[in-house]
Amino acid sequence: MQNLRPALFLVFASLATPLLAEKPPAQIDLSQFQQATQIDNVIVPVPAEIFVVLDKIGTPNWKNEMRDIDLKIGERHQIALLLGTVIADGFVAVEATDREKVKNIGRDVLKLAGAIGVRDSVLGRSNSIIEKADKGDWQNVKRELDGALQDVRNAMSELNDDQLAHLVSLGGWLRGTEVLTSVLNKNYSKDGADLLHQPQLLEYFSSQIKAMPPEVRKTSLVDQIRRRLTEINPLINDAEISKQSVDKVHTITSDLVNSILRKDS
Amino acid sequence: MKRTAQLLILCLALVLPASATVDDAISAAMEAADPYVRQGYSVREDQWGGDLGEGEKKAFQHTLFKGNEYWFFMATDTLKARVSVHIYNAEGKLVDDETWQKGCYAATRFRPPGTGSYFLVVQVEKSPEDRTHWALVYAYK
Repeated sequence: MQNLRPALFLVFASLATPLLAEKPPAQIDLSQFQQATQIDNVIVPVPAEIFVVLDKIGTPNWKNEMRDIDLKIGERHQIALLLGTVIADGFVAVEATDREKVKNIGRDVLKLAGAIGVRDSVLGRSNSIIEKADKGDWQNVKRELDGALQDVRNAMSELNDDQLAHLVSLGGWLRGTEVLTSVLNKNYSKDGADLLHQPQLLEYFSSQIKAMPPEVRKTSLVDQIRRRLTEINPLINDAEISKQSVDKVHTITSDLVNSILRKDS
Repeated sequence: MKRTAQLLILCLALVLPASATVDDAISAAMEAADPYVRQGYSVREDQWGGDLGEGEKKAFQHTLFKGNEYWFFMATDTLKARVSVHIYNAEGKLVDDETWQKGCYAATRFRPPGTGSYFLVVQVEKSPEDRTHWALVYAYK
């Protein structure tokens, strides 16, 4: 019945005339949406959205972008960031169509979610990632990785750990950007570099960190990320992002991802 | 045709709960996106939603990547409601490439001319309810 209901909606909707649609204004004053600049109204893309474009403008060797990591579990903020990077690794492994790697990542996601107290929220996703990777069902592995990201963030929010949920997204962005710049360093193109033009997203992450409680914000790892995000900002603000800027962003994001891997951060 | 429509309305009356929820709106939005999977689009598992009054709008800031093609789907399970979703650039200019609206469903397609920040504006244009639950999902390829 649950599945039937939306289908019935669609049938019903198709009977309705679309001619009554209001014409949208060609120009609006965005300042009317004051909340649009607030944290809750910003949509964070997943790394896969960027990787799809990279596949169109070149032929990245995705296997070269994969990494082997030793999961070191530290404080909760470090685990949240690490979890984000591992899920981003999952998207890389999907691009590389590496079944074993994806399956290992599915297990790592479960392990990290367990360490942070939200294991149950991703158990189903983890199993599904492993099962679908075994079948080579890459499209649905991507959906499950995306779903795992959302489920773990939702579970953290339910535990009033919103700041940790934001750190999961930030970890994913850092690892995704590290991979993007690595690919661009090997084969620079203006179109590829244009993918880095994300100053508002950077501003969003910075504002999230600023809003975090001092016990999280002032940890050496989170403080290091905050400082280095400000270094990235001028590099990705130009209309045309140079190869030198790409290289610098890569160095910064690699440093940060490596710091996340160290549990004493 | 008339008989079919009557049957359909009867079925809906039996199926629908008295009050709508965001979960139902999410299911409806996902259902709207589903046919696009067959066209090679990847649908995000994340969803955004809430409730809006008639005529009320809400905006989301979203970084979209040049080289991708996006479809955004908005839906409500309040059948007599009419919703819309449109995309504006950072200067507030309407940039939809294609849209459709079928009562409680609406969608817009967009191929960004450059990577950057865009604004998705959702609206409940008409509704019999004081507050109408709605949901937004999107797909890319």
